[in-house]
Amino acid sequence: MRTVVVDIADLKVSNDPDTILITYSLGSCIALAIYDPAARVGGLLHFMLPESALSPEKAQANPAMFCDTGVPRLFHAAYELGAQKSRLQVKVAGGAMLLDENGTFNIGKRNYLALRKLLWKNGVLIDAEDVGGSISRTVSVNLATGAVTVKSRNREKPL
Amino acid sequence: MKTLTIDQLIERVDHIPRLPDTALRLIPVITDPASTLEQIVGCLRYDPVITAELLRLCNSAYFGLPRRIDCVDEAVRLLGTNQLLRLVLAASTRALLARPQRGYGLRPGALWEHSVGVALACQLLAERLRRPDTEMLYTAGLLHDIGKVVLNEYVANAYVQIAHCVAEGNISFLDAERCVLGFSHAEVGGRLAEMWNLPEPTVRCIRFHHEPDTPDEPDPNVDVVHLADATCLIIGIGGGEVDGLAYPANSTVLRRTGLNEKKLESIGADLVLQLKKVQELFALHV
Repeated sequence: MRTVVVDIADLKVSNDPDTILITYSLGSCIALAIYDPAARVGGLLHFMLPESALSPEKAQANPAMFCDTGVPRLFHAAYELGAQKSRLQVKVAGGAMLLDENGTFNIGKRNYLALRKLLWKNGVLIDAEDVGGSISRTVSVNLATGAVTVKSRNREKPL
Repeated sequence: MKTLTIDQLIERVDHIPRLPDTALRLIPVITDPASTLEQIVGCLRYDPVITAELLRLCNSAYFGLPRRIDCVDEAVRLLGTNQLLRLVLAASTRALLARPQRGYGLRPGALWEHSVGVALACQLLAERLRRPDTEMLYTAGLLHDIGKVVLNEYVANAYVQIAHCVAEGNISFLDAERCVLGFSHAEVGGRLAEMWNLPEPTVRCIRFHHEPDTPDEPDPNVDVVHLADATCLIIGIGGGEVDGLAYPANSTVLRRTGLNEKKLESIGADLVLQLKKVQELFALHV
């Protein structure tokens, strides 16, 4: 199997069943994994902020940095490889937070809420998720099977 | 374990981590604004490894210089000392920090990426806040987690106990280290920096980076390193899979600096883009 790393503010799609897409140590960022089992097309997005309004120039150069520009980009890239929306399995991980009594540094929660809202508006259901808490997560998608794995605190589990 | 002092602990570690001599000579010189170009070049000139690395860096596409540079004086004169020395310093800490730190669930390279990320975040924050001591803050950012290199093995052995404290006791990873081992990686890092004779402000930043309210008076330098570290932990730059985000974030610090969450997010976005360039330079992945 070939491992393809998805960086922060990055996305990758592929229809090569010999590929594993992986993104390391998510903090408050969100990993969105999609997979069409019929077309065997999968993708992984690692976005870091909810809204491109923060910096339209950065969003233009790096759409995967933001939820509202990265998510459509991920879906369209998968459609181009033959994926169909109705068949997509959609899984979400990340959105963690530092220990902060005042809730000032709550970007993880805002990232997650922005994603839920966007998917809901587009009629996309989340099949599985592992979000929140103060843990770091490494997420991988096996493009042969569509299996999504989350690794955290020395333990690996299927999502 | 708890009966050991920090010094005893450091003595017991088989291979005490050590920065290259050139880096140790360079840090006090570049953190002192009164240093001269001759002093800086003097630190570098007699270290062939660092000289080679410096010339490789300044001839890379990152700087896009019109002609080839083949001596240290010329490199420093052409690129200005700051930008170049930051990269040299990052390069010289690589061997030490890029080792996998399994106790913290850090894959090979991750601690170095995190350290370079915090150093760059310190630089961005210092520029935004118009702070005069950018070089000191960059250096402190680069070395803030150096204590993890010493504590790594101890954390690995006591992992079950520490993880239990974090999960059940609802305490931070820092307090769990202290509870199980007797001291935190920040305290060990501070002591190590003292033993290396690093400048006092740098030592303070390393020692208090998770606890900016501990010094008697708020220290604006510690505040910057705390925010830079929090930014990298939040974004997940070289994060550990064991400790993760289980560290306290101090929102008072944000108020003290006059920044708000939006500005910090904007700095975070700049940081990720800058880090990507540095990673290309060193041919790395986050």
